[in-house]
Amino acid sequence: MTKNDRWLVWLFLAPAVVLVAVLMYYPMLGTVIESFYSTSFINPDPKFVGLEVYRRIFSQQEFGQIVVNSLLWTMGVVLLQNVLGFFSALLLNQHLPGQGLMRALVLLPWVLPGVVAAIIWRFMYDPQLGLINSFLISLGVSDTGMAWLADTDTAMLSAIVAAVWKGFPFSTVVFLAALQNVDEEQVEAAIIDGAGPLRRLVDIVLPSIREVAMINLVLTTILTFNYFDMIWVLTRGGPQNATHIFPTKIYDLGFGQFRFGDAAVYGVFSILVLVLLIALYFAIQRSSRPRVARA
Amino acid sequence: MRRQTPRTRFALMGLQTGLAVIVLLPFFWMISVSLKPASEPFAIPARLWPEDPTLANYISAFRPEFQVYFLNSVVVSLSTVAITVTLALLAAYVFTRAQMRIVGIIMLLVILAQMFPASAIIIPIYRMMRAADLLNTYASLILAYVTITLPVAIWMMRGFLARLPVTLEEAAAMDGAGPLRAFFEIVLPLCRPGIVATAVFVLIVTWQEFLFALSFTSTRDMRTLPVGMNDFIGQYGIRYGELMASSVLISLPVIAVFLFLQRQFVAGLTAGAVKG
Repeated sequence: MTKNDRWLVWLFLAPAVVLVAVLMYYPMLGTVIESFYSTSFINPDPKFVGLEVYRRIFSQQEFGQIVVNSLLWTMGVVLLQNVLGFFSALLLNQHLPGQGLMRALVLLPWVLPGVVAAIIWRFMYDPQLGLINSFLISLGVSDTGMAWLADTDTAMLSAIVAAVWKGFPFSTVVFLAALQNVDEEQVEAAIIDGAGPLRRLVDIVLPSIREVAMINLVLTTILTFNYFDMIWVLTRGGPQNATHIFPTKIYDLGFGQFRFGDAAVYGVFSILVLVLLIALYFAIQRSSRPRVARA
Repeated sequence: MRRQTPRTRFALMGLQTGLAVIVLLPFFWMISVSLKPASEPFAIPARLWPEDPTLANYISAFRPEFQVYFLNSVVVSLSTVAITVTLALLAAYVFTRAQMRIVGIIMLLVILAQMFPASAIIIPIYRMMRAADLLNTYASLILAYVTITLPVAIWMMRGFLARLPVTLEEAAAMDGAGPLRAFFEIVLPLCRPGIVATAVFVLIVTWQEFLFALSFTSTRDMRTLPVGMNDFIGQYGIRYGELMASSVLISLPVIAVFLFLQRQFVAGLTAGAVKG
Protein backbone atom coordinates (compact mmCIF):
# COMPACT_ATOMS: atom_id res chain seq x y z
CA MET A 1 0.00 0.00 0.00
CA THR A 2 1.54 3.29 -1.06
CA LYS A 3 0.73 6.94 -0.35
CA ASN A 4 -1.48 7.05 -3.45
CA ASP A 5 -3.68 4.32 -2.05
CA ARG A 6 -5.12 6.41 0.77
CA TRP A 7 -8.61 6.08 -0.68
CA LEU A 8 -8.22 2.33 -0.31
CA VAL A 9 -7.28 2.72 3.36
CA TRP A 10 -10.49 4.56 4.13
CA LEU A 11 -12.62 2.38 1.89
CA PHE A 12 -11.41 -0.78 3.65
CA LEU A 13 -11.70 0.72 7.13
CA ALA A 14 -15.01 2.53 6.81
CA PRO A 15 -17.52 -0.29 7.44
CA ALA A 16 -15.80 -1.64 10.54
CA VAL A 17 -15.06 1.78 11.99
CA VAL A 18 -18.57 3.11 11.39
CA LEU A 19 -20.20 0.05 12.98
CA VAL A 20 -17.99 0.09 16.06
CA ALA A 21 -18.38 3.86 16.47
CA VAL A 22 -22.16 3.88 16.01
CA LEU A 23 -23.08 0.69 17.86
CA MET A 24 -20.42 0.64 20.60
CA TYR A 25 -18.89 4.05 21.35
CA TYR A 26 -22.01 6.12 20.77
CA PRO A 27 -24.25 3.90 22.99
CA MET A 28 -21.64 4.13 25.73
CA LEU A 29 -22.08 7.89 25.63
CA GLY A 30 -25.84 7.30 25.56
CA THR A 31 -25.64 5.33 28.81
CA VAL A 32 -23.67 8.10 30.52
CA ILE A 33 -26.24 10.71 29.40
CA GLU A 34 -29.15 8.47 30.35
CA SER A 35 -27.80 8.16 33.89
CA PHE A 36 -28.64 11.84 34.49
CA TYR A 37 -32.29 11.29 33.58
CA SER A 38 -35.06 9.67 35.54
CA THR A 39 -37.61 7.37 33.96
CA SER A 40 -39.97 4.81 35.35
CA PHE A 41 -42.83 2.66 34.20
CA ILE A 42 -45.37 5.19 35.52
CA ASN A 43 -43.38 8.13 34.26
CA PRO A 44 -41.90 7.07 30.91
CA ASP A 45 -40.78 10.53 29.74
CA PRO A 46 -37.12 11.06 30.61
CA LYS A 47 -36.63 13.96 33.00
CA PHE A 48 -33.23 15.55 33.66
CA VAL A 49 -32.41 15.16 37.34
CA GLY A 50 -28.62 15.63 37.46
CA LEU A 51 -27.00 13.33 39.99
CA GLU A 52 -30.29 12.49 41.69
CA VAL A 53 -30.41 8.90 40.42
CA TYR A 54 -26.81 8.33 41.50
CA ARG A 55 -27.63 9.65 44.96
CA ARG A 56 -30.63 7.36 45.26
CA ILE A 57 -28.82 4.26 43.97
CA PHE A 58 -25.75 4.79 46.14
CA SER A 59 -27.92 5.15 49.24
CA GLN A 60 -29.65 1.83 48.61
CA GLN A 61 -28.33 -1.18 50.44
CA GLU A 62 -28.95 -3.16 47.27
CA PHE A 63 -26.17 -1.35 45.42
CA GLY A 64 -23.65 -2.38 48.07
CA GLN A 65 -24.83 -5.95 47.82
CA ILE A 66 -24.39 -5.99 44.05
CA VAL A 67 -20.89 -4.56 44.34
CA VAL A 68 -19.99 -7.28 46.84
CA ASN A 69 -21.62 -9.99 44.70
CA SER A 70 -19.77 -8.80 41.60
CA LEU A 71 -16.48 -8.79 43.48
CA LEU A 72 -17.03 -12.31 44.80
CA TRP A 73 -18.20 -13.58 41.42
CA THR A 74 -15.39 -11.97 39.45
CA MET A 75 -12.56 -12.83 41.82
CA GLY A 76 -13.85 -16.34 42.42
CA VAL A 77 -14.28 -17.19 38.75
CA VAL A 78 -11.06 -15.50 37.59
CA LEU A 79 -8.83 -17.04 40.24
CA LEU A 80 -10.22 -20.57 39.99
CA GLN A 81 -10.40 -20.44 36.22
CA ASN A 82 -6.81 -19.33 35.81
CA VAL A 83 -5.39 -21.67 38.44
CA LEU A 84 -7.23 -24.61 36.88
CA GLY A 85 -6.30 -23.34 33.42
CA PHE A 86 -2.63 -23.06 34.33
CA PHE A 87 -2.33 -26.50 35.90
CA SER A 88 -4.27 -28.23 33.15
CA ALA A 89 -2.02 -26.49 30.61
CA LEU A 90 1.07 -27.77 32.46
CA LEU A 91 -0.45 -31.25 32.42
CA LEU A 92 -1.29 -31.09 28.72
CA ASN A 93 2.29 -30.02 27.98
CA GLN A 94 3.84 -33.26 29.31
CA HIS A 95 3.67 -35.31 26.11
CA LEU A 96 1.50 -37.99 27.67
CA PRO A 97 -0.38 -40.56 25.55
CA GLY A 98 -3.76 -39.21 24.42
CA GLN A 99 -2.54 -35.63 24.66
CA GLY A 100 -3.69 -34.55 21.21
CA LEU A 101 -7.23 -35.75 21.86
CA MET A 102 -7.28 -34.13 25.30
CA ARG A 103 -6.17 -30.77 23.92
CA ALA A 104 -9.19 -30.79 21.63
CA LEU A 105 -11.65 -32.12 24.21
CA VAL A 106 -10.63 -29.67 26.91
CA LEU A 107 -12.02 -26.77 24.86
CA LEU A 108 -15.50 -28.32 24.60
CA PRO A 109 -17.04 -26.54 27.62
CA TRP A 110 -15.93 -23.22 26.15
CA VAL A 111 -17.48 -24.08 22.78
CA LEU A 112 -20.74 -25.23 24.37
CA PRO A 113 -23.37 -22.44 24.18
CA GLY A 114 -23.53 -20.57 27.51
CA VAL A 115 -27.27 -21.06 27.91
CA VAL A 116 -26.87 -24.82 27.39
CA ALA A 117 -24.02 -24.97 29.90
CA ALA A 118 -26.19 -23.11 32.40
CA ILE A 119 -29.13 -25.46 31.81
CA ILE A 120 -26.96 -28.55 32.31
CA TRP A 121 -25.60 -27.14 35.57
CA ARG A 122 -29.05 -26.08 36.72
CA PHE A 123 -30.02 -29.67 36.24
CA MET A 124 -26.92 -31.03 38.00
CA TYR A 125 -27.77 -28.78 40.98
CA ASP A 126 -31.45 -29.81 41.02
CA PRO A 127 -32.34 -30.71 44.63
CA GLN A 128 -34.33 -33.85 43.74
CA LEU A 129 -33.07 -35.00 40.35
CA GLY A 130 -29.58 -33.53 40.21
CA LEU A 131 -26.43 -35.57 39.87
CA ILE A 132 -24.62 -33.68 42.64
CA ASN A 133 -27.16 -34.35 45.38
CA SER A 134 -27.58 -37.91 44.22
CA PHE A 135 -23.83 -38.36 44.52
CA LEU A 136 -23.65 -36.75 47.98
CA ILE A 137 -26.56 -38.83 49.27
CA SER A 138 -25.12 -42.10 48.00
CA LEU A 139 -21.79 -41.24 49.61
CA GLY A 140 -23.63 -40.57 52.85
CA VAL A 141 -22.28 -37.01 53.10
CA SER A 142 -25.81 -35.63 53.20
CA ASP A 143 -29.22 -37.12 53.98
CA THR A 144 -31.46 -35.00 51.81
CA GLY A 145 -29.06 -33.03 49.67
CA MET A 146 -28.87 -29.26 49.30
CA ALA A 147 -30.96 -26.72 47.41
CA TRP A 148 -27.79 -25.39 45.81
CA LEU A 149 -29.25 -22.57 43.74
CA ALA A 150 -32.16 -21.72 46.02
CA ASP A 151 -30.11 -21.21 49.18
CA THR A 152 -28.56 -17.76 49.64
CA ASP A 153 -25.47 -19.36 51.22
CA THR A 154 -24.63 -21.65 48.31
CA ALA A 155 -26.13 -19.96 45.23
CA MET A 156 -23.13 -17.75 44.40
CA LEU A 157 -20.61 -20.51 44.96
CA SER A 158 -22.65 -22.84 42.74
CA ALA A 159 -22.79 -20.23 39.98
CA ILE A 160 -19.03 -19.69 40.27
CA VAL A 161 -18.29 -23.41 39.92
CA ALA A 162 -20.47 -23.65 36.80
CA ALA A 163 -18.81 -20.57 35.26
CA VAL A 164 -15.32 -21.90 36.01
CA TRP A 165 -16.14 -25.17 34.27
CA LYS A 166 -17.35 -23.22 31.24
CA GLY A 167 -14.49 -20.72 31.20
CA PHE A 168 -11.29 -22.46 32.28
CA PRO A 169 -10.59 -24.12 28.91
CA PHE A 170 -9.94 -20.68 27.45
CA SER A 171 -7.25 -20.06 30.05
CA THR A 172 -5.85 -23.55 29.38
CA VAL A 173 -5.39 -22.81 25.69
CA VAL A 174 -3.76 -19.42 26.31
CA PHE A 175 -1.38 -20.86 28.94
CA LEU A 176 -0.62 -23.85 26.70
CA ALA A 177 0.42 -21.51 23.89
CA ALA A 178 2.62 -19.58 26.31
CA LEU A 179 4.19 -22.78 27.64
CA GLN A 180 5.07 -23.86 24.14
CA ASN A 181 7.05 -20.64 23.76
CA VAL A 182 9.20 -21.37 26.80
CA ASP A 183 12.84 -21.65 25.77
CA GLU A 184 13.63 -25.39 25.63
CA GLU A 185 17.40 -24.82 25.79
CA GLN A 186 17.07 -22.96 29.06
CA VAL A 187 15.04 -25.85 30.47
CA GLU A 188 17.59 -28.42 29.26
CA ALA A 189 20.42 -26.38 30.77
CA ALA A 190 18.60 -26.26 34.09
CA ILE A 191 18.12 -30.03 34.02
CA ILE A 192 21.87 -30.50 33.47
CA ASP A 193 22.48 -28.17 36.42
CA GLY A 194 20.32 -30.53 38.47
CA ALA A 195 17.26 -28.33 38.89
CA GLY A 196 14.13 -30.29 39.86
CA PRO A 197 10.73 -29.75 38.26
CA LEU A 198 9.54 -27.28 40.92
CA ARG A 199 12.75 -25.25 40.65
CA ARG A 200 12.38 -25.12 36.84
CA LEU A 201 8.75 -24.08 37.17
CA VAL A 202 9.55 -21.19 39.50
CA ASP A 203 12.81 -20.02 37.88
CA ILE A 204 12.20 -20.53 34.18
CA VAL A 205 8.60 -21.31 33.27
CA LEU A 206 6.80 -18.78 35.48
CA PRO A 207 8.98 -15.78 34.54
CA SER A 208 8.68 -16.52 30.85
CA ILE A 209 4.88 -16.76 30.88
CA ARG A 210 4.44 -13.85 33.31
CA GLU A 211 3.30 -11.37 30.69
CA VAL A 212 0.76 -13.71 29.07
CA ALA A 213 -0.52 -14.67 32.53
CA MET A 214 -1.04 -11.05 33.60
CA ILE A 215 -2.82 -10.11 30.38
CA ASN A 216 -4.94 -13.23 30.65
CA LEU A 217 -5.89 -12.29 34.21
CA VAL A 218 -7.03 -8.81 33.20
CA LEU A 219 -8.90 -10.09 30.13
CA THR A 220 -10.74 -12.82 32.02
CA THR A 221 -11.58 -10.30 34.75
CA ILE A 222 -13.25 -8.01 32.21
CA LEU A 223 -15.11 -10.88 30.53
CA THR A 224 -16.26 -12.40 33.84
CA PHE A 225 -17.43 -9.09 35.30
CA ASN A 226 -19.64 -8.68 32.23
CA TYR A 227 -20.81 -12.28 31.86
CA PHE A 228 -24.61 -12.35 31.80
CA ASP A 229 -25.78 -15.72 30.46
CA MET A 230 -24.71 -18.10 33.24
CA ILE A 231 -26.28 -16.29 36.20
CA TRP A 232 -29.38 -15.23 34.30
CA VAL A 233 -30.24 -18.79 33.33
CA LEU A 234 -29.17 -20.35 36.65
CA THR A 235 -30.83 -17.99 39.12
CA ARG A 236 -31.92 -14.69 37.48
CA GLY A 237 -29.96 -12.99 40.26
CA GLY A 238 -31.87 -14.72 43.05
CA PRO A 239 -32.51 -15.92 45.63
CA GLN A 240 -33.08 -12.50 47.21
CA ASN A 241 -30.45 -10.77 45.09
CA ALA A 242 -27.82 -13.24 46.32
CA THR A 243 -26.39 -13.75 42.83
CA HIS A 244 -27.29 -10.44 41.16
CA ILE A 245 -24.23 -8.94 39.50
CA PHE A 246 -23.96 -5.81 37.36
CA PRO A 247 -25.06 -7.26 33.99
CA THR A 248 -28.06 -9.13 35.41
CA LYS A 249 -29.12 -6.13 37.51
CA ILE A 250 -28.88 -3.80 34.51
CA TYR A 251 -31.02 -6.11 32.41
CA ASP A 252 -33.54 -6.55 35.20
CA LEU A 253 -33.81 -2.80 35.88
CA GLY A 254 -34.00 -1.84 32.21
CA PHE A 255 -36.02 -4.52 30.47
CA GLY A 256 -37.77 -5.96 33.54
CA GLN A 257 -38.77 -2.79 35.39
CA PHE A 258 -38.32 -0.06 32.74
CA ARG A 259 -36.17 1.95 35.17
CA PHE A 260 -33.73 3.03 32.47
CA GLY A 261 -32.10 5.78 34.54
CA ASP A 262 -31.31 3.33 37.32
CA ALA A 263 -30.01 0.79 34.82
CA ALA A 264 -27.80 3.49 33.29
CA VAL A 265 -26.22 4.32 36.66
CA TYR A 266 -25.27 0.67 37.07
CA GLY A 267 -24.06 0.79 33.47
CA VAL A 268 -21.84 3.82 34.12
CA PHE A 269 -20.40 2.04 37.12
CA SER A 270 -19.46 -0.99 35.04
CA ILE A 271 -17.96 1.30 32.37
CA LEU A 272 -15.78 2.85 35.09
CA VAL A 273 -14.65 -0.60 36.21
CA LEU A 274 -13.79 -1.37 32.60
CA VAL A 275 -11.77 1.85 32.21
CA LEU A 276 -9.80 1.00 35.35
CA LEU A 277 -9.09 -2.52 34.11
CA ILE A 278 -8.04 -1.29 30.66
CA ALA A 279 -5.66 1.17 32.32
CA LEU A 280 -4.24 -1.73 34.31
CA TYR A 281 -3.89 -3.75 31.11
CA PHE A 282 -1.83 -1.03 29.45
CA ALA A 283 0.27 -0.53 32.56
CA ILE A 284 1.13 -4.24 32.53
CA GLN A 285 1.90 -4.23 28.82
CA ARG A 286 4.14 -1.20 29.18
CA SER A 287 6.04 -2.54 32.17
CA SER A 288 6.69 -5.86 30.43
CA ARG A 289 7.84 -4.42 27.12
CA PRO A 290 11.55 -3.94 28.06
CA ARG A 291 11.73 -7.60 29.12
CA VAL A 292 10.58 -8.69 25.69
CA ALA A 293 13.10 -6.40 24.01
CA ARG A 294 15.93 -7.92 25.99
CA ALA A 295 14.92 -11.49 25.20
CA MET B 1 11.51 -32.53 31.09
CA ARG B 2 10.56 -35.53 29.01
CA ARG B 3 12.46 -37.99 31.22
CA GLN B 4 9.58 -38.99 33.48
CA THR B 5 9.96 -41.94 35.79
CA PRO B 6 7.25 -44.59 35.33
CA ARG B 7 5.73 -43.56 38.64
CA THR B 8 5.50 -39.86 37.67
CA ARG B 9 4.08 -40.84 34.35
CA PHE B 10 1.43 -42.95 36.03
CA ALA B 11 0.48 -40.09 38.35
CA LEU B 12 0.31 -37.65 35.44
CA MET B 13 -1.90 -40.03 33.48
CA GLY B 14 -4.17 -40.21 36.52
CA LEU B 15 -4.40 -36.43 36.62
CA GLN B 16 -5.13 -36.29 32.92
CA THR B 17 -7.95 -38.80 33.36
CA GLY B 18 -9.29 -36.65 36.21
CA LEU B 19 -9.26 -33.61 33.94
CA ALA B 20 -11.11 -35.56 31.26
CA VAL B 21 -13.78 -36.55 33.79
CA ILE B 22 -14.26 -32.94 34.96
CA VAL B 23 -14.58 -31.73 31.38
CA LEU B 24 -16.76 -34.51 30.05
CA LEU B 25 -19.02 -35.51 32.94
CA PRO B 26 -21.62 -32.75 32.33
CA PHE B 27 -21.66 -33.65 28.60
CA PHE B 28 -22.09 -37.31 29.42
CA TRP B 29 -24.93 -36.51 31.82
CA MET B 30 -26.64 -34.34 29.19
CA ILE B 31 -26.53 -37.15 26.64
CA SER B 32 -27.51 -39.83 29.14
CA VAL B 33 -30.61 -37.94 30.31
CA SER B 34 -31.56 -37.07 26.74
CA LEU B 35 -31.77 -40.81 26.02
CA LYS B 36 -33.71 -41.70 29.14
CA PRO B 37 -37.35 -42.71 28.59
CA ALA B 38 -39.80 -40.40 30.36
CA SER B 39 -41.07 -43.39 32.33
CA GLU B 40 -37.72 -44.23 33.86
CA PRO B 41 -37.41 -42.47 37.23
CA PHE B 42 -34.34 -40.63 38.50
CA ALA B 43 -32.85 -43.03 41.01
CA ILE B 44 -30.51 -42.55 43.92
CA PRO B 45 -27.72 -43.41 43.43
CA ALA B 46 -28.09 -41.89 39.97
CA ARG B 47 -27.97 -44.33 37.10
CA LEU B 48 -25.30 -43.00 34.77
CA TRP B 49 -26.76 -44.60 31.67
CA PRO B 50 -30.48 -45.24 31.02
CA GLU B 51 -31.61 -48.86 31.27
CA ASP B 52 -33.57 -48.61 28.06
CA PRO B 53 -32.18 -45.75 25.89
CA THR B 54 -34.60 -44.14 23.45
CA LEU B 55 -34.65 -41.32 20.91
CA ALA B 56 -38.19 -40.33 21.92
CA ASN B 57 -36.99 -37.15 23.63
CA TYR B 58 -35.30 -36.01 20.44
CA ILE B 59 -38.44 -36.52 18.42
CA SER B 60 -40.55 -34.48 20.81
CA ALA B 61 -37.81 -31.84 21.23
CA PHE B 62 -37.61 -31.26 17.49
CA ARG B 63 -41.01 -29.64 17.36
CA PRO B 64 -42.08 -26.83 15.01
CA GLU B 65 -41.03 -23.92 17.23
CA PHE B 66 -37.64 -25.50 17.77
CA GLN B 67 -37.24 -25.76 14.00
CA VAL B 68 -38.05 -22.03 13.67
CA TYR B 69 -35.47 -21.11 16.33
CA PHE B 70 -32.95 -23.35 14.63
CA LEU B 71 -33.51 -21.72 11.26
CA ASN B 72 -33.27 -18.24 12.84
CA SER B 73 -29.98 -19.14 14.50
CA VAL B 74 -28.57 -20.53 11.27
CA VAL B 75 -29.55 -17.44 9.25
CA VAL B 76 -28.27 -14.96 11.82
CA SER B 77 -25.03 -16.85 12.56
CA LEU B 78 -24.03 -17.57 8.98
CA SER B 79 -24.79 -14.00 7.86
CA THR B 80 -22.78 -12.63 10.76
CA VAL B 81 -19.83 -14.92 10.02
CA ALA B 82 -19.77 -13.90 6.34
CA ILE B 83 -20.05 -10.16 7.02
CA THR B 84 -17.72 -10.03 10.02
CA VAL B 85 -14.97 -12.04 8.36
CA THR B 86 -15.11 -9.87 5.22
CA LEU B 87 -15.05 -6.57 7.12
CA ALA B 88 -12.39 -7.80 9.55
CA LEU B 89 -10.16 -8.92 6.70
CA LEU B 90 -10.37 -5.54 4.99
CA ALA B 91 -9.78 -3.59 8.21
CA ALA B 92 -6.97 -5.85 9.42
CA TYR B 93 -5.25 -5.54 6.05
CA VAL B 94 -5.19 -1.77 6.38
CA PHE B 95 -4.12 -1.98 10.02
CA THR B 96 -1.09 -4.10 9.14
CA ARG B 97 -0.09 -2.22 5.98
CA ALA B 98 -0.89 1.48 6.28
CA GLN B 99 1.91 3.54 7.78
CA MET B 100 -0.27 6.31 9.16
CA ARG B 101 -0.44 7.45 12.78
CA ILE B 102 -4.18 8.04 12.66
CA VAL B 103 -4.75 4.48 11.45
CA GLY B 104 -2.80 3.16 14.43
CA ILE B 105 -4.99 5.15 16.82
CA ILE B 106 -8.18 3.95 15.12
CA MET B 107 -6.96 0.36 15.37
CA LEU B 108 -6.38 0.69 19.09
CA LEU B 109 -9.88 2.15 19.59
CA VAL B 110 -11.52 -0.60 17.52
CA ILE B 111 -9.66 -3.44 19.24
CA LEU B 112 -10.37 -1.95 22.69
CA ALA B 113 -14.08 -2.20 21.97
CA GLN B 114 -13.88 -6.00 22.33
CA MET B 115 -13.85 -5.46 26.10
CA PHE B 116 -16.96 -3.26 26.26
CA PRO B 117 -19.67 -4.48 28.61
CA ALA B 118 -22.63 -5.42 26.43
CA SER B 119 -25.08 -4.94 29.29
CA ALA B 120 -23.93 -1.34 29.80
CA ILE B 121 -24.65 -0.33 26.22
CA ILE B 122 -27.61 -2.52 25.37
CA ILE B 123 -30.38 -0.07 26.35
CA PRO B 124 -29.18 2.73 24.01
CA ILE B 125 -28.68 0.16 21.23
CA TYR B 126 -32.18 -1.19 21.87
CA ARG B 127 -33.54 2.36 21.54
CA MET B 128 -31.69 2.84 18.23
CA MET B 129 -33.07 -0.42 16.88
CA ARG B 130 -36.57 0.53 17.97
CA ALA B 131 -36.24 3.97 16.36
CA ALA B 132 -35.07 2.31 13.13
CA ASP B 133 -38.00 -0.12 13.39
CA LEU B 134 -35.62 -3.07 13.40
CA LEU B 135 -36.76 -4.90 16.54
CA ASN B 136 -37.82 -8.49 15.82
CA THR B 137 -35.84 -8.61 12.58
CA TYR B 138 -32.78 -10.58 11.52
CA ALA B 139 -31.16 -7.23 10.65
CA SER B 140 -31.09 -6.01 14.27
CA LEU B 141 -29.33 -9.17 15.44
CA ILE B 142 -26.93 -9.35 12.51
CA LEU B 143 -25.98 -5.68 12.93
CA ALA B 144 -25.36 -6.14 16.65
CA TYR B 145 -23.47 -9.42 16.19
CA VAL B 146 -21.25 -8.09 13.41
CA THR B 147 -20.36 -5.14 15.62
CA ILE B 148 -19.58 -7.10 18.77
CA THR B 149 -17.53 -9.74 16.94
CA LEU B 150 -15.58 -7.33 14.71
CA PRO B 151 -12.99 -6.16 17.28
CA VAL B 152 -11.82 -9.69 18.14
CA ALA B 153 -12.06 -10.81 14.52
CA ILE B 154 -9.88 -7.90 13.41
CA TRP B 155 -7.41 -8.71 16.17
CA MET B 156 -7.22 -12.35 15.06
CA MET B 157 -6.90 -11.51 11.34
CA ARG B 158 -4.21 -9.00 12.19
CA GLY B 159 -2.14 -11.76 13.78
CA PHE B 160 -2.18 -13.61 10.47
CA LEU B 161 -1.68 -10.67 8.13
CA ALA B 162 1.23 -9.33 10.16
CA ARG B 163 3.13 -12.51 9.32
CA LEU B 164 2.56 -12.31 5.56
CA PRO B 165 5.65 -10.72 4.02
CA VAL B 166 4.87 -7.36 2.39
CA THR B 167 7.47 -8.17 -0.28
CA LEU B 168 4.92 -10.32 -2.11
CA GLU B 169 2.62 -7.35 -2.63
CA GLU B 170 5.56 -5.13 -3.53
CA ALA B 171 6.57 -7.63 -6.19
CA ALA B 172 3.02 -7.62 -7.52
CA ALA B 173 3.06 -3.82 -7.62
CA MET B 174 6.35 -3.91 -9.59
CA ASP B 175 4.62 -6.17 -12.10
CA GLY B 176 2.02 -3.47 -12.52
CA ALA B 177 -0.76 -4.90 -10.34
CA GLY B 178 -2.90 -2.24 -8.69
CA PRO B 179 -3.47 -2.37 -4.91
CA LEU B 180 -6.89 -4.00 -5.24
CA ARG B 181 -5.55 -6.71 -7.52
CA ALA B 182 -2.63 -7.33 -5.19
CA PHE B 183 -5.07 -7.71 -2.33
CA PHE B 184 -7.42 -10.11 -4.07
CA GLU B 185 -4.85 -12.19 -5.93
CA ILE B 186 -1.91 -12.29 -3.52
CA VAL B 187 -3.11 -11.57 0.03
CA LEU B 188 -6.54 -13.17 0.03
CA PRO B 189 -5.46 -16.71 -0.96
CA LEU B 190 -2.66 -16.67 1.63
CA CYS B 191 -5.08 -15.71 4.43
CA ARG B 192 -7.16 -18.86 4.22
CA PRO B 193 -6.06 -20.29 7.61
CA GLY B 194 -6.73 -16.94 9.27
CA ILE B 195 -10.14 -16.71 7.67
CA VAL B 196 -11.06 -20.21 8.83
CA ALA B 197 -9.94 -19.57 12.41
CA THR B 198 -11.75 -16.24 12.59
CA ALA B 199 -14.92 -17.69 11.05
CA VAL B 200 -15.00 -20.50 13.63
CA PHE B 201 -14.56 -18.02 16.44
CA VAL B 202 -17.34 -15.74 15.18
CA LEU B 203 -19.62 -18.75 14.73
CA ILE B 204 -19.04 -19.95 18.31
CA VAL B 205 -19.75 -16.49 19.74
CA THR B 206 -22.80 -15.81 17.57
CA TRP B 207 -24.39 -19.23 17.91
CA GLN B 208 -24.60 -18.82 21.68
CA GLU B 209 -25.28 -15.08 21.96
CA PHE B 210 -28.05 -14.55 24.48
CA LEU B 211 -28.32 -10.97 25.80
CA PHE B 212 -28.97 -9.18 22.50
CA ALA B 213 -31.28 -11.91 21.23
CA LEU B 214 -33.24 -11.81 24.49
CA SER B 215 -33.62 -8.03 24.26
CA PHE B 216 -34.27 -7.53 20.54
CA THR B 217 -36.69 -10.38 19.86
CA SER B 218 -40.03 -10.51 21.60
CA THR B 219 -41.99 -12.52 19.05
CA ARG B 220 -41.72 -16.30 19.00
CA ASP B 221 -41.03 -16.49 15.29
CA MET B 222 -37.85 -14.37 15.56
CA ARG B 223 -36.18 -15.97 18.57
CA THR B 224 -32.87 -17.74 18.27
CA LEU B 225 -31.94 -21.03 19.93
CA PRO B 226 -30.41 -19.71 23.18
CA VAL B 227 -33.47 -17.56 23.91
CA GLY B 228 -35.78 -20.38 22.85
CA MET B 229 -33.94 -22.72 25.24
CA ASN B 230 -34.36 -20.24 28.05
CA ASP B 231 -38.12 -20.23 27.37
CA PHE B 232 -38.17 -24.02 27.33
CA ILE B 233 -36.99 -24.15 30.95
CA GLY B 234 -40.34 -22.78 32.05
CA GLN B 235 -42.43 -24.64 29.47
CA TYR B 236 -40.93 -28.07 29.99
CA GLY B 237 -41.12 -27.84 33.76
CA ILE B 238 -39.10 -30.80 34.92
CA ARG B 239 -39.22 -32.65 31.61
CA TYR B 240 -35.47 -32.75 31.65
CA GLY B 241 -35.28 -35.45 28.99
CA GLU B 242 -36.61 -33.12 26.31
CA LEU B 243 -34.61 -30.19 27.67
CA MET B 244 -31.40 -32.20 27.44
CA ALA B 245 -32.30 -33.53 23.98
CA SER B 246 -32.72 -29.97 22.70
CA SER B 247 -29.46 -29.03 24.42
CA VAL B 248 -27.68 -31.75 22.47
CA LEU B 249 -29.30 -30.61 19.23
CA ILE B 250 -28.18 -27.00 19.80
CA SER B 251 -24.64 -27.94 20.74
CA LEU B 252 -24.01 -30.45 17.96
CA PRO B 253 -23.51 -28.07 15.01
CA VAL B 254 -21.03 -25.81 16.77
CA ILE B 255 -19.16 -28.69 18.41
CA ALA B 256 -18.94 -30.51 15.08
CA VAL B 257 -17.50 -27.43 13.36
CA PHE B 258 -15.08 -26.92 16.22
CA LEU B 259 -13.81 -30.51 16.32
CA PHE B 260 -13.46 -30.55 12.55
CA LEU B 261 -11.44 -27.32 12.43
CA GLN B 262 -9.94 -27.18 15.91
CA ARG B 263 -6.28 -27.19 14.84
CA GLN B 264 -6.62 -24.09 12.67
CA PHE B 265 -8.90 -22.50 15.23
CA VAL B 266 -6.58 -22.88 18.21
CA ALA B 267 -3.62 -21.70 16.14
CA GLY B 268 -5.59 -18.60 15.15
CA LEU B 269 -6.85 -17.90 18.63
CA THR B 270 -3.38 -17.95 20.10
CA ALA B 271 -1.58 -16.26 17.19
CA GLY B 272 -2.88 -12.85 18.20
CA ALA B 273 -2.18 -13.46 21.88
CA VAL B 274 1.42 -14.53 21.40
CA LYS B 275 2.42 -12.28 18.52
CA GLY B 276 0.22 -9.33 19.68
